[in-house]
Formats: sequence, structure tokens, C-alpha cells
Amino acid sequence: MTAPFPNRPRADAREKVMGAARYGADHQVAGLLYAMQVPATIAKGRIASLSVDAAMQVPGVIRVLTATDFLPPPPATPGAPPPPATLTAYIAYRGQPVALVVAETLEAAIEGAEAIHPTYTTAPAFTSLIEQPGVVREAVKPVTAGDATRAMARAVTRHKADYVSPPQHHNPIEMLSTTAVWENGQLTIYESTQSSSNTKGAVMRNMRLTPEQVTVKSPQIGGGFGQRGGAQRQTALVARAAMLLGRPVKLVLPRGQIFHNATFRPMNRHRIEIGADASGKMIAVRYDADQQQSREGQFPPDYHESVPMLYGIENYHGTAANLRIDTQAPGYMRSPTPHPSCFAFESAVDELALKLGVDPVAFRLRHRATTDPIHGQKLSSCYLSECLTEGARRFGWERRSLQPGSMTLPDGTQVGWGVASGAYPGSAHPNIVTLRVNADGTTRFAAAGHEMGQGIRSTIEQVLVRELAIDPLKLEIAIGDTSVAPQHTTAGSWGTASVVPAAAEAAAKLNAAMAELLAGRQVAGNLHRQLATVRRPSLQVEVEHVAVDQGPKDLATLRKGGMALVGPDYSTFTTYSYIAHFVEVHVEPGTRRVRVPRVVSIADCGRVISPRTAESQVRGGVIWGIGAALREATEVDPRYGGWLNNDLADYVVPVNADIGSIDVGFIDRPDPLINALGAKGLGEVAMTGCAGAIANAIHHATGKRLREMPFRIEDLL
Amino acid sequence: MANMDHLLGVPLTRRTALGGTAAFTASTLISEGDPAVAAPAAKPVGVRLAIRTTVNGKAVPVEIDVRTSLLDLLREQLHLTGAKKGCDHGQCGACTVHVDGRRVASCLTLAAKVDGRAVTTIEGLADGETLHPMQQAFIDHDALQCGYCTPGQIMAAVACVREGNATSKDRIREYMSGNICRCGAYVGIVAAIEQVAGREKS
Amino acid sequence: MRPFTYARPESAVAAVQAFTAAGAGARYIAGGTSLYDLMKLDIEKPQHLIDVTAIRGLDGIETNGERLRFEALAPMSAVATDKVVLRDYPVLAEALWKAASQQLRNMATVGGNLLQRTRCLYFRNGAGGTSVGNTYPCNKREPGSGCAAIGGLDRGQAVLGQSPSCTAVSPGDWPVSLVALDAYVEVLGASGTRSIPIAELYRLPGSTPNLEFTLQPGEMITAIVVPKTKAGRHSTYHKIRDRESYAFALASAAVALEMDGDTVTRARIALGGVATKPWRATAAEALLAGKPLTPATALAAGRAAFADAKAGKQNGFKIELGARTVADALTIAAARNRS
Repeated sequence: MTAPFPNRPRADAREKVMGAARYGADHQVAGLLYAMQVPATIAKGRIASLSVDAAMQVPGVIRVLTATDFLPPPPATPGAPPPPATLTAYIAYRGQPVALVVAETLEAAIEGAEAIHPTYTTAPAFTSLIEQPGVVREAVKPVTAGDATRAMARAVTRHKADYVSPPQHHNPIEMLSTTAVWENGQLTIYESTQSSSNTKGAVMRNMRLTPEQVTVKSPQIGGGFGQRGGAQRQTALVARAAMLLGRPVKLVLPRGQIFHNATFRPMNRHRIEIGADASGKMIAVRYDADQQQSREGQFPPDYHESVPMLYGIENYHGTAANLRIDTQAPGYMRSPTPHPSCFAFESAVDELALKLGVDPVAFRLRHRATTDPIHGQKLSSCYLSECLTEGARRFGWERRSLQPGSMTLPDGTQVGWGVASGAYPGSAHPNIVTLRVNADGTTRFAAAGHEMGQGIRSTIEQVLVRELAIDPLKLEIAIGDTSVAPQHTTAGSWGTASVVPAAAEAAAKLNAAMAELLAGRQVAGNLHRQLATVRRPSLQVEVEHVAVDQGPKDLATLRKGGMALVGPDYSTFTTYSYIAHFVEVHVEPGTRRVRVPRVVSIADCGRVISPRTAESQVRGGVIWGIGAALREATEVDPRYGGWLNNDLADYVVPVNADIGSIDVGFIDRPDPLINALGAKGLGEVAMTGCAGAIANAIHHATGKRLREMPFRIEDLL
Repeated sequence: MANMDHLLGVPLTRRTALGGTAAFTASTLISEGDPAVAAPAAKPVGVRLAIRTTVNGKAVPVEIDVRTSLLDLLREQLHLTGAKKGCDHGQCGACTVHVDGRRVASCLTLAAKVDGRAVTTIEGLADGETLHPMQQAFIDHDALQCGYCTPGQIMAAVACVREGNATSKDRIREYMSGNICRCGAYVGIVAAIEQVAGREKS
Repeated sequence: MRPFTYARPESAVAAVQAFTAAGAGARYIAGGTSLYDLMKLDIEKPQHLIDVTAIRGLDGIETNGERLRFEALAPMSAVATDKVVLRDYPVLAEALWKAASQQLRNMATVGGNLLQRTRCLYFRNGAGGTSVGNTYPCNKREPGSGCAAIGGLDRGQAVLGQSPSCTAVSPGDWPVSLVALDAYVEVLGASGTRSIPIAELYRLPGSTPNLEFTLQPGEMITAIVVPKTKAGRHSTYHKIRDRESYAFALASAAVALEMDGDTVTRARIALGGVATKPWRATAAEALLAGKPLTPATALAAGRAAFADAKAGKQNGFKIELGARTVADALTIAAARNRS
């Protein structure tokens, strides 16, 4: 079961290159109406009046939904976050929807929405930056190991500095959208979500519907990155419109409204002190982090998830706090807290290594982590040292000169080589899967999971095709649909590790069932042929898979549409994925543009299930690191609130010309404890640490230490 | 100003008579006898125009709202959802299609402008079940992840080769920079285009 | 977006007549990459669109004779790949291919591009349409409403030519290259034709930033004429942005040099990304005349180009970046001179 997997094409590549893959807004429904949200144009306050008359005059407009069209918020459910608000008179942030215009055509819906100009009672003051008055600071429980204060006191060499990561938006290229169909008391939602279960639960509660009445379908997602992990605010609005009007309704949110209504990576700040003893080993870390937060937001400031797992430093004191201001709720964006914390910490490690006069790879290799110091238990696997060693070999690290500013090209371009590490928690979730092999040559596998490009279908296919004699071209993998299997939120790099063990168990169970069916007879051909021969139309098995430490309670939670996540600190061990990034930057002599012509990234994600899609995942993570380090920041004018650069021209993400060569490698050794296949997560760790490697490379090139992302041209002039 | 001569003395054509109403646009753009003129939609929305375009080789007479973008025409009226909306402002490239063989951003193209012109979308690229070489190259190099920007990438890539802009990695990168891939499949995209360009050269 | 009437005249004269007949609220539309975009943002609200792209015989590229002549409807991508332009006027070709993406260059025309409006964030994002939902005062959008960029986030704003009413940057690349080469535009209006030196096509914002161009209502650009100059071969358009491609300029420089050996006999320098209109850097040109081009003189010229610059809170870097951009452009152009 744990042999390496072959390099096969992406499972759904063909439908994608043909333009046949159906995303949220692609589903064809007869009699469709179009909706457009009207965004609030104040940062905080109340709607004083809202006239729909002008909108209703627009030919084609048939209804305008306002706050009075919605039920009050549902009663609280213990343990579950409330569903998103619908339309309310209270305005908590600029761009919040105040009305939904529904029309026969998209053009009429837009014209109608533009005709609505509510009057507002604005709040006397609002707070849109964490530096302004009106911030409410809320500390969370510290994360500690050993005695960092005492260890720091005995440290011989110390480094202390502040690092900053700006607000950022996910910006998957697919827009947020919802298509709602209400027919015979049944509500069907087509929406790109990483959590069809969350979407279903939120709509059920907002609309007071039963589980039997709601189906959510999200078979293909045009990029997730965490933006679509929670329930989306527009879903209930569109559902309500469809229910009121008795016709299907579709809303595609304009990009600017997405900036204001989707979650985002909050601004976060890091004060880090690292102490090393006389032998040049890191013995103590004191680390204070805080982050921008909305008034009611729940995104936790988990900045001490990954850093303690990198180097086995025994004494650690980490604090974290929310800084509550007036904004929409921040949320999980790719490598949510590990990306900024590893940027900050790995910059600090680089600075300390330099202070000690030690090569930064050699310095990191002095610290091999075997235990989780926070929970006092072993790491199930950690091949970070192997990642560093292999990366250094492929990169040609031994040719690097230690002195910053010492490598230049003939035209004066400064060359810098930087390294940094990353770690990401290895979590897992139960899965209830159904596998059916048919005599007609088809196979269907249904499970919890959502495909947002990470390649979850490809990993499932790899396991099934290896374990089962089936026709891979006629294998249907049904996921992201509440009607095919109980669904979870697919995020946090737990998707693959939560489904491939279940697929392997299902395959084994099916093979056993087949053997039982054949009862010792030798029948030629694959499973389809065998079934046809014995005149059985199909064979189906169901598997209830639970992760380490889990049992029937977790399966029950999954069946109810809840999350039953476990890890990374399991009862007897802790699991993380690891990566080492090696980056070459070129800094132009005159105008100081920074280029990244070459990256080598080596990952330890346990057993690699789908080598081809895994390589792509890591390349994508590296590009996210480049974007975060050099380009991306969402800007707020505090006089107005909201986001100023709210489109893809002014929120600058990397384009093709920004990217050079990205060499990806894997340790590909199975984790012995996390699951039967030894697979850990990959998509998040792929980005983690990359920004730090870029910061370190820029310092190596120029001698200038940049501690606040993004690093722009003006920072190096 | 000798070169201005050709601008002058050109007689007013039928199309230039201005009335400023919906009726005007109908009379200027719809040929006499067009059933769309005789029987306007029961619930007219906005200003309607009848256009005749060709999409993926098929003649498509269609009535549109004058405000409609080519992208919305393809997706919402012709149900060709391969071209994608990623920004609706010409900032991402996901909506890339070919008009008369040249790549354009369909979100910033008024649908009215494709009257009399030929549009090719991702749905028109494969020859039945046989993929276009660029589609196959995208699979071979895993030049995609979520797949949302992929139709636009492929339409841009086909044009990039056709224009003669696929002569080096750097040139491909520059001429493919109008298509944002947030998943970050750029390395595979460049490799796929190199493969196709190399094959066509040899 | 409100409905509008739509006409596609087949001659330039007919287009002008159609515009005149339509009266207030009429706009010409060519590629539409700028106008249709701004209509979606609820900034431009035309009542009548006169689509000029059906006009026959207005997309020619003439390179024989004493001048280059690009008719207004030639796509940007076509002029960018014209063999003579590529060989003899790299500044023009580069200004075109460094603008936008190939998709947009296939749509946008060389005439229409001259009239592109600013990318100022407060201008674009503040009209309150459904695309964004923000509302910001903007004297360019709503005369007299104020300027949110002044005192706001001004990293992208102009450091040259701004007024107390407006600091919005003129966004184009192509116009900057044409300003450097003393091009002029041919214009057709209700009262006939005239030609306008390209530099005079653009207004400074002053107290009326809503008035951006010197075209009269109904006037249509029909051609761009560039007097031939041997400096064309020794030219470049150097553009610095927040990413390698598909972005507007933080600073750019169009440079064309006439040289005698290493000595600059005449320099033409224009700036983009830093000023409220395509900006001719005459002081920098004067400084270089008769001097050898060295790294020091190149940087001195760059600094001279920004001698009158005034920074806001965050855009001060553009003064140094702009100077270095000019210096690098001069060095690139001079190297072409030697080759």
C-alpha cells in the first residue's frame, strides 16, 4: 500500500482543457433570473431609508429584496458559528449588501442596482486601521514550552525584531456566485464552495428549512485558497429570491464587491526574540503576535502553530491577540497563520545566523526537530533536514558566498540566495465513502471533499486505479455535493489525507467482496468483466473511515454536516508537513526591481499520492509566496474604510512574466502514524516559508533587511 | 491634410441616420424583413439589437441588449460557458476568445461589435473528440490546477503561437501575461506552449 | 449601466454627423477597452454610442515618405509589429507592447488609446456603481466635489503637473512615446479637419480636471503623424511597474537620441506614470545637449527631469525612481546608437 505512486495526468484535466468543467455560475437552468447586490457606501451606521422605486422602474426588474424580506437571525446553535447575516439595516462595513435586485436580464439587474441610493445614518466614528483609536485588543491564551524567560536570560546571542504582513485577499479567478433553484419545496444551490456542508447548514438555518430540503452542489471550484471555506453571505439572499419568486436566480458578485464581502488575510504583526547559547544553538523564543480582526470575527490568531515545530527549540513563549476594528470578518487564506509566522520567524533565524556568522542552511541543520515541545510528544515524521539538504544540493548552495552584497552580475545586478523553512499542521477528518463498480465498465466513488484545483480527484483516482482492476476512463469521482455523501470543509491541507485512506479501505473491501462473490472461481478480465461474467450488474461497498483517535461520535458529526477535525496534536504524537525553499533574487542596479529567476523547493508531505498534481501544488505555493512577498497588499484609506485597490489591476498578483524556473522535489517517505498510506498535507505547506526565503535572498543580495511585506521598489531605492 | 480627402465626400449610409431611440437602432442594424424587427420581444428590456455573428463556425442570429458584453452573450444567451468571468474589466484574461482569429477580452467587447464577425471559443477548439494540440499540451504539462482560467489561457496560447510570439520562454511569458493564473500554473503553461510551438516549427 | 443607442457609421464624416445629430450624451467608441470599462464602473454614462470601428479605410499604417502615419483605427498590436516601426522606432513599438495585454492591444486602437482616462484609484473606484460600491469625491468625475487622493493613499499619484484639484496620473504609454517624437494628431470635426500637436492634446488639471483633452465636442482623432527622425533608431520606452508585465507604469521614460559618437547632439525625453499628462522633460533634454552620455550625465538628466517634482505622502519615491528610469532609458538608447 505504501509504494511510491506513478506520475499520471490530472484526473479532470481533459474536461478542464475543453472548457467543459462546470463551475458555480456555469450550470444551465431554465427560466433563470439574474440578481445584483447593492453595496453599502458607508463604513458603519444604519440605513435610514431605502427606496426601491427607481429600480422597479427599470424595464426587466421584477423584485428588489431588502432587509424586510428576510427572517430574523436563527437561534444560536451551540458550538457552531452563526450563519452569515442576510440583509440588515445595520451596516458593519463598506460594501455590505443592502438590497438585492432581481431582473429578467443581467443588464437590467445591474441597472436596477445602480438606481438604488439608500440614505444612511452614519456612525459618529469608525476604526478601519489597527493604529487608530477605537481598537479593542483581545489577547488569547499563550502557547508555551519550557521556560523561555529563563532560557533567554542565559542566551549568549540574541536577535529581536518586528515583522509585518499586510491585509491580503485570496482572489481566486472564479468570482463568488450563487445559483438557487426552488422547486417543489426543494432548494438546490449551485455554488463554488469549499464546504457544501457549511453552505447547506447556513441556508437551512437562515431559511428555516430541513436537511432534506436543501442540496448544495460544488463539483468544481475555480480556486479556493480558503476564501470559500465558510458560508458565503450572498447564498441566502439568492436562495430567498428564488423562493419568493418561484424561479431560479443567479448572482455573480463583481470583483469589487468580493473584496468587500469575502474574507481576507488580516494584517498581522510579529515581535520575535530568539536566543542562542554558546554553541550557537537556538534555545529560546519569545514571540508576540497580533492581528487585525473584525468586531465579531472568529478567525483565530494561531501564529504559534508552526514555528515551534521547525527546530525543536525547547523554550518557547508565544502570545497572540486580536485587534478588533470595523471591517468585514477576516478568515483563512492559504497557509493562514503559518505563512506570516514562518516569514517572520525564518527572517529572524536568518538574521541570527548572520549574527553568528554561520551559513543559514548549516545553522538550520543544527536543529533537527524530533518532538513537539508544546505538547511534549514525538513528531510522527519530520524530514525538514532532508528537505534542506536536498534543496541545497539541487540549488548549488555550496557556491554561495556568506557576505551580503557579494554576488553581482557584470551589469551590476545584485544576486542573492536565500533559504527558509516552513511547517504546516497535519489534520484529518472522517469520511463516509461509497464505491460502486458496474458491469457496464463504469465505476463511481462518492466521498466528502471538494476539488479546487489541488488535485483531490487525482489522488483518489491514483489509489483506486492502483488497487482496483477498473477502467480509469470511466471512473466518476463524485465529491463536493451534499447529495452524494456527507461533506466537510475541504481546507487546511486535510482533504487528501482524509479521503485516500478511505478510498484504499473501500478498494480493499470491494476486492474482498468480489473474491467472496467469485468464491474461488477464476474469471478473466477486470472487475467490470468479472461482474458481467457472473451476471451481477454491480458491486457496491460503503466505508466509514475515521482518522487517528476518532470513533462513532465523529462519524455522527460528519453525518450531521458538522466538522470532526483531529490533529495535528493527536493523543500520542504530532504531525506536521515540512518544506525548504531556496530562492535566487536579482535586484536591478538602477530602478531596483526584484526578480525571482529561480526557486528550488523540497517538501516532506509523507507519501506523495499524485506526483504530477503535487508538483503543481508546490509551484503554485511558491508563486503565492512570491506574490505575498513582493506584490500583494490590500489598502485602506482610513477616512473612508473599505478597500481602495479592489480589482485585479490594482491588487497586484504575479503574472506569467514574474515567474522563472521552479524546481520541485519530494522526500516521499510515508508518515508511519498518520494514516495507512502515510500521506500528510501539501497545499498549505507549499507556500509556507517561501516569503521568508525571498526576504533572506534580498538581504543577501543587497545587505538590506526588509521586515514588512510586500517588499516594493521604494523599499530598495 | 491631403490624406483627409478619403474622409470627406463619403455619403451618409443608412446606418448613420440617428433617431436616438430603440427603434432607431433596430432600423440601423437589422436588415429589412428580419423577423426580430417585425415581432419584438414581449417584454423589451433595455435597447435591443439583432446581430448576426458566427460562433465556432455556426451562424448565430441573436437579439441582444445593447449593453451586453460578448462574454455575457456567450455565457448567458448562447450557453457557451467555457469562457469565464474573472474580473469583467479586462484585468485577468479568463474571458479570452478569438474574434476573426485574434485574441480579445470578451468581457470588454460589446457584443454588438461581433455583428458580422467570427467568434471562436474554447468549445470550438477541439475537433470532435480529438483535442487541439494546445489542449493536449496543457494536459501533458499539467498547465492548470483549478481549471477556471484554463479556457482563456488556451485561447491566448493558441494565438500566441499563431502570432509568432512563442519564440522563447521570455517572449511566451510576456505574451501570456494577460492571463492571470491564481493557482500558479505558469511554469506548465510556458512548457505547453513551447511544446506546441516547437512541433509546428519542426 | 443605462441603455444607450448604438450606431455603426461606415465613414468618418458620417460618424461626426451622427455625433452632432445625437447631441449631448454622445460618445465615440472604438475598441472600447477604456470606455466600456468605465461604463461598467458607472463613471461614463453615454446615451448614444457611435461605434467608429465600421469606418472603412481608417486603419492604415503608412511608413513611406517623410513621416509615419497611423490611422486612428489601426489596432495597437498592428502598429507594434509593423516592420518599419520595429526597426526604426523601437520607442513606439515598445510603448505599445508594454501597454496592457495582447488581448487588449488587439482591441484597442492607436487613436482611442490617446484618450484613455486615468487609473487614479479614487477616480475609478468611487462612482458608487455595483462593481465597487465605494464613493469618493473626485473633481475629475464630479467637478467641484473635491479630491480624495490629496491627503489619501497617494502612492500612485502624480509628482509633476498636479494641481490642488487633482493629482491623477495620465495613464498611457503610447502618448508618452509620441510626445517624445513631436507627433501630431489629425482630427475631424463638424467644422472640418485640423491637426493638433500631441502635447497640446492634453490639458493640465488646473481647476478643471474634468477637462482632459483639447478636442472639441464631436471631434474625432483620425490619424497620428510622426515626423521621421533618425533619433528613432536610437530610442527606447522604458517602463517600471509593480510587476513585470500587464500593469500601469510607476514611472516610464520615452527616450530618443541623436548622437555624434558618444556625444548627445539632441535628446528627446518624455515621462509617463509620474505626471498628470504625458510629460516632455525639456530641462533634461537641454542638460544633455552637447554632452557625452555617461552614467553621471544620464542620472543628472534624470534628476533634471524631476527638478520641479512635488511629492505627496507616499509617492516621493517616484522622483528618484523616475530619475533612474530616465537614466536607464538613456543608457539603453545610447547603446542602440552604438550598435
